[in-house]
Amino acid sequence: MADPDERLLVEAAQHDPSRFADLYERHFERVYAFVVRRVRVHDAAEELTAEVFHRALAHLPRFETRGAPFGAWLFSIARNALIDRAKLATREVVDSDSLPEIGGGPDADDELDRVEALARLFRYVDELPADQRTVIVDRFVEDRSIRETAQRLGRSEGAIKQLQHRALETLRRGMRAPAEDGDA
Amino acid sequence: MPEYSLSAIETMLRDLPRAEFRARLRRDLERMSTTMMTTSEVSVAGTVRKGFRTVTPYVVVRDAPGLIEFAARAFGAEETGRFVGAGLHAEVRIGDSMLMIGGGMPPGRPYDGPQWTTAFHIYVPDTDAVHERAIRAGATSVGEPMDQPYGERSSGVKDAFGNTWYIATAQGEHHVPSGMQTVNVYLHPLRAEPLIAFMTNAFGAGNVQKFASPDGVIQHAQVTIGDTVIEMGEANGPYQPMPTRFYLYVADVDGGYRRALDAGATSISEPMDLPYGERVAGVADAFGNQWYLATPVAR
Repeated sequence: MADPDERLLVEAAQHDPSRFADLYERHFERVYAFVVRRVRVHDAAEELTAEVFHRALAHLPRFETRGAPFGAWLFSIARNALIDRAKLATREVVDSDSLPEIGGGPDADDELDRVEALARLFRYVDELPADQRTVIVDRFVEDRSIRETAQRLGRSEGAIKQLQHRALETLRRGMRAPAEDGDA
Repeated sequence: MPEYSLSAIETMLRDLPRAEFRARLRRDLERMSTTMMTTSEVSVAGTVRKGFRTVTPYVVVRDAPGLIEFAARAFGAEETGRFVGAGLHAEVRIGDSMLMIGGGMPPGRPYDGPQWTTAFHIYVPDTDAVHERAIRAGATSVGEPMDQPYGERSSGVKDAFGNTWYIATAQGEHHVPSGMQTVNVYLHPLRAEPLIAFMTNAFGAGNVQKFASPDGVIQHAQVTIGDTVIEMGEANGPYQPMPTRFYLYVADVDGGYRRALDAGATSISEPMDLPYGERVAGVADAFGNQWYLATPVAR
């Protein structure tokens, strides 16, 4: 996965840490997807994602651009952070066996494909029109009913259903299309 | 490309990250990167002295050579520098970490000023063996080696000079867990939150991790300043506050000094160029710790 753009971004950030934001924007969804598939809880996923990027920023000068890709490096930091967390807070559930199946995909060793797919879905949600995105967040992240969402947004239940339907169809079409290289 | 059903997509959407979090983390990283500028200029331009980390604990005791000798026998510390003036300033390396040790050199150079002792969390390949060595070198046991629920085998000793050493071996691929140093300062503030807030505001500390018990006591927390982790657990029982003196490399001593005062520190010494080639300023935080901010200057 030679990615000359990425290499330039990494080198820029190594010289000037304020450029790290570009790498963050490029990899946020991927890291979050990687972590959330293992901890299943938003609060824990947020803490761990923050930790991964904090560690990456702190150790960026030591990252070697000729070695593994930057994304793989972030995943290895995430893996270590998950292990540390499991050690420190044994109550926390870190269980990769209890992950839900995603329909159609081959199972077993393609966890990374699933992470990439989830990350892609997150990015498609970002590209939805604002009203559709709000409905998606209300319905699936905040777990509000159609009625609650309608009341909250001052729209009819029919309008909410339609926005949700359009959004889901757009997302499904996006997920069917081949992944764009380089994304972001 | 696998085909995703609408219900599969709905399931995946439950994991959608919150937009506020994404934006907040970006702001947090941006804030951190402005102070980090210091640390990466470090590696590039030499703001941190070669071989040092951003933060170095500075222990001051009556018998500095005695402490160095103890650290060498117990932990394999290696003396890398010794400067004798009115007293002693020495630098020792343990694994990937540096310690500054100062104070008196009895009998010829006695020191009766304040002592600065520290609680250290030191990672070693074999806790039991090192515990034993530390005892033979004159320390007393404050906790026999045992397996901890958080994945370490650990013990505790107090050396004859007043420092506490939590000796630990991580049960993972390596005896030092990823992200930690060989030697880590372990603070016991009465309350962790205000100290963490100070370190964040004054020195751009980031990567804050906190583990509280159900009654709200912060049992363990850690923050990172530049490339250095500092750990802490709120004071309880035998673990009472042990104010620590730190030597902290920054890119801009004057700016760092002002930020520390703005964050509630009091001045010990204003920024000045010292003869050993560093510009240094000293501040005391509200929790009893002292921080010497330093940057190398051209002589």
